[in-house]
Amino acid sequence: MTRFHLTSVLMTVVCLTAGTWATVTIVPGRAAGARATPTPVDDGDWTMPGKNYASTRYSGLSEITPANVGHLHPVWTFSTGVLGGHEGQPLVVHNTMYVVTPYPNTLYAFDLSQPDYPLKWKYRPAVSPNAVGVACCDAVNRGAFYADGKILYNLLDGHTVALDAATGRQLWETTIADVANGETTPIAPFVVKNRVLVGASGGEFGIHGWVKALDLQTGRVAWTGYNMGPDSALLAKPGVFKPYYDHESQLGVSTWPKDAWQIGGAPVWGWMSYDSTLDLVYYGTGNPAPYNPEQRAGDNKWTTSVMARRPEDGSLVWAYQFTPHDSWDFDATAGMILVDLPVAGKLRKVLVHFDKNGFAYTIDRATGQVLVAQPFVDVNWAKRIDLTTGRPVVDSSKLTGVSRGNVKDICPTLEGGTSPASPVAYSPRTHLFYVSTNNMCMDYQATQTAHIRGTPYIGANSPYYAGPGGYMGAFEAWDASVGRVVWTIKERYPVWSGAVATAGDVVFYGTLDGWMRAADARTGKVLWSFKVGSGVVGNPIVYRGPDGKQYLAVYAGIGGDWFLLAGDVGSDDPADVRPPADFVKDLARHTSRGGLVWIFAL
Amino acid sequence: MTRQQTIRRIPLGVLALVLALGCNASHTDASRAREGAPAADKAPPLAIVSESHIAAGGALPAGATLTNPYAGDSAAATAGAALFTSMNCDGCHGGGATGWVGPSLADGRWRYGGSASEIFTSIYYGRRYGMPAFGGLMPKAGIWRIVTYLQSLTLPNDVPTESWK
Repeated sequence: MTRFHLTSVLMTVVCLTAGTWATVTIVPGRAAGARATPTPVDDGDWTMPGKNYASTRYSGLSEITPANVGHLHPVWTFSTGVLGGHEGQPLVVHNTMYVVTPYPNTLYAFDLSQPDYPLKWKYRPAVSPNAVGVACCDAVNRGAFYADGKILYNLLDGHTVALDAATGRQLWETTIADVANGETTPIAPFVVKNRVLVGASGGEFGIHGWVKALDLQTGRVAWTGYNMGPDSALLAKPGVFKPYYDHESQLGVSTWPKDAWQIGGAPVWGWMSYDSTLDLVYYGTGNPAPYNPEQRAGDNKWTTSVMARRPEDGSLVWAYQFTPHDSWDFDATAGMILVDLPVAGKLRKVLVHFDKNGFAYTIDRATGQVLVAQPFVDVNWAKRIDLTTGRPVVDSSKLTGVSRGNVKDICPTLEGGTSPASPVAYSPRTHLFYVSTNNMCMDYQATQTAHIRGTPYIGANSPYYAGPGGYMGAFEAWDASVGRVVWTIKERYPVWSGAVATAGDVVFYGTLDGWMRAADARTGKVLWSFKVGSGVVGNPIVYRGPDGKQYLAVYAGIGGDWFLLAGDVGSDDPADVRPPADFVKDLARHTSRGGLVWIFAL
Repeated sequence: MTRQQTIRRIPLGVLALVLALGCNASHTDASRAREGAPAADKAPPLAIVSESHIAAGGALPAGATLTNPYAGDSAAATAGAALFTSMNCDGCHGGGATGWVGPSLADGRWRYGGSASEIFTSIYYGRRYGMPAFGGLMPKAGIWRIVTYLQSLTLPNDVPTESWK
């Protein structure tokens, strides 16, 4: 297959708007011409999943540096009491750490002002066990959000709860999703002004995907914006909805056969961002249902898309579809990182998105125009993204469907070039994005499937194997101004943790076999590793403790898709004994399921 | 009948059914009491009620007999394998029932029992943690075919031990 990685230092960049050619010299580790964005004073807290509304996952703390990170050591650990994929991240607000567990979604509030971090309170919600069997990809939770003295998070079974952050008392609880329909809610809520935005998983169950906004004070549903259906259901109003590439109305119906959009998927289970100047919330939608694409001819808008909505009333302002007529389960739910970057010599307000489909996009976040789209892993289902049309140039030999039988050797797999559950970090000092990636390829055999409410609506078998080079994952640094990898740390297994970047020029990530690592943000040299007892599928955070020191916190607890793919890591149910997966035969040698919160410091 | 059972949560449909039957039972008990006969609870126990389960398709199943009419029938096992796919069982339990979101059904180990009647009950009424109640959705014969299929699976040579060189 073709390798797209560009490794030359001197590059030619096409200036899209003026049509002139400009040459930019890229110094590894720094994007030339990048304006030094003044870093806001960092108060040391971590109040929302992505650290800030731009979702940079960047901390302004600089006590930990490449010179001293080798001395990082654990200062505390706590067993969550739950075995399951520990996705998401803790929050730290006013010297309190908030931890949400996987199902049954206990919330712990630890007092960081006391030496042993005892609990202030814990909240143990009544959550339905039915939801566990309807959550396609382990009973994970992607975190809480702090706003207005409240902690907000979702229970797996379709409820959003708001708690008083000081006392843990429940303020309100709203039913947002229906488990009997195949909907579950592991997503972290996203609060903008007085709106709590939430979405549902269920692309594997043929849901009709949506985003809802709840009132922050009362929990009442203020609006529901569907991801497909008539324009009225999309909240796509004439004169307001202006997608950059697609100008017809009713695309949420016309790009589907008959009523297929009603069970067409487009779950919302990833991360959201917000630009307060443009007043736009950005989020990605997931895969179309079913996985067998021949049951849903057409582009299937707006699955696998980025949506830009006004938080107050949900009006859809623009949308862009990364993978039209997705035939490989390329959910577009990975984060949208909002930064100002030079592209072709001009500073642009963009969003950067690392898609499951293997391409990294730099998009004008006001209009939805794609400025840069380059592969960040090995990709062969498409040759390139045509920037005039915004559409991928698909290799037709990689299309899937029942009539095509077993299509072999497609890269990346349906886990994606990166998992959307493993969010990216950005450093305004290096102007680089730090990405956990998978290096895997797959065969894909589609099968006919019927929609039975509450049961999986899939229709595909897709075994995986390691991609070129034999290693299965890598942690990469990416220059989104031009679209190229700057450095790579190869890992034995797919890298499934999130990333955090710091002003000390150290970045942190974790591995599937249970290593927490620190790397030099500029060079990619690994400077510190510590085995945390179970694979890391959650997102590290960095915060300032009451003593003024810098701390690193992360969950350990393998799961998420790996609960399905590597079932022999499970050891807690004698009635569920599985052989090792063909492509990760020895993962269970290095990890089993777990549930720990770790805190490290110098 | 309802007085003598501890039921934590009763879906409305079952409650209606129970009340209807209960009304008949208490009428009979009352007349027996007047005649001096013991008000014995002769009614059969209610169909198994999980504390909570999804009824696939929205309908709750009624009671059923628990003898597999297809025991040992290889044609039924083959039909059951096809149903395992067409009813989306493989979507949760994996192709060949080797486990996915739902547990492996091919390892000879059973959370709720591996006899034909226990497997039938699990499929028919559903189980905690999200196994839907397929009895509301497909005929009992189809469920028995799936039971026959699952019981026909060959176990791996060594289930308990996983070793690496």
